[in-house]
Amino acid sequence: MATQQTAAKRATSVLISLLIVAMVLALFFAYRRSGGLLHLHRPRLHVSARRLPYYAICSLARMTAAYALALIFSLVYGMLAAKGRAWERVMIPAIDIAQSVPVVGFFPAAIYFFVALAHGSRIGVEMAAVFLIFTSQAWNMALGVFESVRTLPNDSLEALDAFGATGWLRLKRLLLPACVPKLIYNSILSWVSGWYYLIACEIITVGPAHYQLPGLGSYLMTAADKGRTGELIAGLLALLAIIVLMDGIIWQPLSEWAEKFRYEFAASSEPMRSLGLFDALGSVGPTVLRTFRALMRPIVRAVHRALASTPPFEPARHPALQRASRLMRIGLAAAAFFLITLGIVNGTVALIRTLLQPWPAAVRQIPLATGASMLRMIAAYAISLAWTIPCAIAASESQRFARRLAPIAEIVGSMPATALFPLIVLFVIRVTGGMNLASILLILTGMQWYVLFNLLAGISQIPADLKEAARSFGLSRMATWRKLTLPAILPSLLTGSITAWGGGWNALILSEYFVYRGATYKVFGLGAMLDDATYQSGNGLMILLTLLSMVLVVVLLNRLVWRRLYDVATDRYRIDY
Amino acid sequence: MALLELKHVSRSFPHAKGNLPVIEDLSFTVEEGEFVAIVGPSGCGKSTMLRIVNGLMAPTSGQVLYQGRQVDGINLECALVFQSFALMPWLSVKANVELGLEARGLAPAEREKRAGIYIDKVGLDGFEEAYPRELSGGMKQRVGLARALAVEPRLLLMDEPFSALDALTAITLREELLDIWQSADMPVDNIIMVTHIIEEAVELADRILVLSSGPGRLVADLKVELARPRDRRKEGFNALTDKVFSLIEERG
Repeated sequence: MATQQTAAKRATSVLISLLIVAMVLALFFAYRRSGGLLHLHRPRLHVSARRLPYYAICSLARMTAAYALALIFSLVYGMLAAKGRAWERVMIPAIDIAQSVPVVGFFPAAIYFFVALAHGSRIGVEMAAVFLIFTSQAWNMALGVFESVRTLPNDSLEALDAFGATGWLRLKRLLLPACVPKLIYNSILSWVSGWYYLIACEIITVGPAHYQLPGLGSYLMTAADKGRTGELIAGLLALLAIIVLMDGIIWQPLSEWAEKFRYEFAASSEPMRSLGLFDALGSVGPTVLRTFRALMRPIVRAVHRALASTPPFEPARHPALQRASRLMRIGLAAAAFFLITLGIVNGTVALIRTLLQPWPAAVRQIPLATGASMLRMIAAYAISLAWTIPCAIAASESQRFARRLAPIAEIVGSMPATALFPLIVLFVIRVTGGMNLASILLILTGMQWYVLFNLLAGISQIPADLKEAARSFGLSRMATWRKLTLPAILPSLLTGSITAWGGGWNALILSEYFVYRGATYKVFGLGAMLDDATYQSGNGLMILLTLLSMVLVVVLLNRLVWRRLYDVATDRYRIDY
Repeated sequence: MALLELKHVSRSFPHAKGNLPVIEDLSFTVEEGEFVAIVGPSGCGKSTMLRIVNGLMAPTSGQVLYQGRQVDGINLECALVFQSFALMPWLSVKANVELGLEARGLAPAEREKRAGIYIDKVGLDGFEEAYPRELSGGMKQRVGLARALAVEPRLLLMDEPFSALDALTAITLREELLDIWQSADMPVDNIIMVTHIIEEAVELADRILVLSSGPGRLVADLKVELARPRDRRKEGFNALTDKVFSLIEERG
């Protein structure tokens, strides 16, 4: 009975997932019209160290805009999803899909969409770039907010109810503070993956159109492409400086501040921290924060005063206003409904029209290509596990190692491997004579950090008393790994694996097909087929079919393998005694 | 020779503003066959002291002698019972109890037999395959006790073992602990128990060491001469409780 129910539940969630994907696909294909891009004015990119600050500021602005959007999105989405079971059942699978569907594959469609939206101006390309970075930042943050609100102890909710604290007060005093620790931790991770995709979205090649946004990503890629090693290193150093500075000034003080909001009582876990590298900068951070607050205070006070001096608004006294607001709400809902319906109808028509085209012979190779890509993914995943698990175990045995590893991983993980792709590819091809190993290594760069960061988080959550018990009873190193460390990190390993595979599919698209100085390097695989269709033939049907099969594989893998393993792991291996 | 001897033991922890001393110049001995309770206000370093005795932590200065030899690393003749139970949530009751036996290199058959005996002794017969999260607090601490007893330690160390339990469960478990300690077929002769419940110390122990807080120093070393079984309604019980109370209040 119970198993039947869960099977039914699983089936509905698979169905919902597929529906959401179908809707997104339809929406994107509705706006898949090329042409606009070709007429765009293209700024020239100069690879010179003097222009580096300008490019750095451009990229930083893009990242900040995307992060601001992701922050707002994650708060609204996460809280809505935590509002009730019904919301949760639709919104959480949607996030799951968004997290693991290869957004990079939809990028060309997104560009067409935004360029069309901006009437063919450069703003459209900027919007598309910000959107792609946003998609690499938003999902884990939204999940963090959802988890924080969902796991709030019931009694603190009841306490607020008992004091009659509702609305804004409830948000300010309970919900927002509860989100702070996970939100800040996930923000750090989001910036890491944001830098990774920055490169991919500042250089845009769609069919015949080639476009570069001014920024660090384009700069690095162009420098690598032109073989200008000196400028490449200068660019990487600039990026490194930004990452380290941001960490010292923003994330480190914020992580310390977040400690105040932690809910658990376990005396153990090392605080979720950020870099400890530049302690000197640590004192700069609070000063900046204090100055910022001092500057903001008069504004906040003024707003408060203004609010306090206006008489309380009682809607019951203004029937006309009430009527107007009701009308407006209905109007908005109708407009939204109309737009969505239009999009879906449009998209479905476009889809059907695409599907009715003659199917090229290459379609028959899709299953085989999927298999080949799968094998590459598995290889990259195996390499990730092979080095991250020993690292995590070492971190669990030595606090010193853990404290050193985390900041280094944060920096190295933020360094956009995508910018180094040319160097890696050329080197590996020279050594092995083929592109296969290079492709696997490139996928690895998009996978390994997710596993590592999740494992490190898992390690930091092992309660101190369990570690003491293992030592006190004289467990050997091996026995401690078997009885304590490995079971304790299993849930984190699975969370990390799910995200890593999501990142891997994205990286797959970037790494099976590679253009360098006019020459195209590629392997046989699903990602390469998609790229071929997008950048060479422009065959809409092939794009659609490759994307569809990729999404299908992702969804099935997630629902049938990862979710099941995750359920087992959280059921048996969670620490909640 | 004394079973255990602490000589001028101090321990401090690195802190934002220099070193924070937790225990200062603590010296006492425990004789063979004694049940010693250590009481004191929170923050007096009781638990730290227990971890130093077990060898989980080294003292900053001073010496710990076990049967005349200096403790260096984990003392495997001790077993520790935790306030939070510290059971591995992914291991069954039996596997949890076998933890220390496996570490001591016992063969699987022997492990199983011994775990069975001690699970029986603490009254958890039939729960061998249950997981900790399926048990009540009292039952979890029975598992913790069985796990410690199974390694047949000469010295049982208990860190606030009954503080996380409700009062009625704690009463039952205290009685059972005394039974275990007094029964001839149990290998445990010596117990050091850290607690902040003064009545618990008076009810169970032969000796009560009173510590002051911040940093922990020895304030008093009292022998408990009351006849067993002890009861708070019997003469002398409340007088001793009051005495320990006032010692802590004065010096804490």
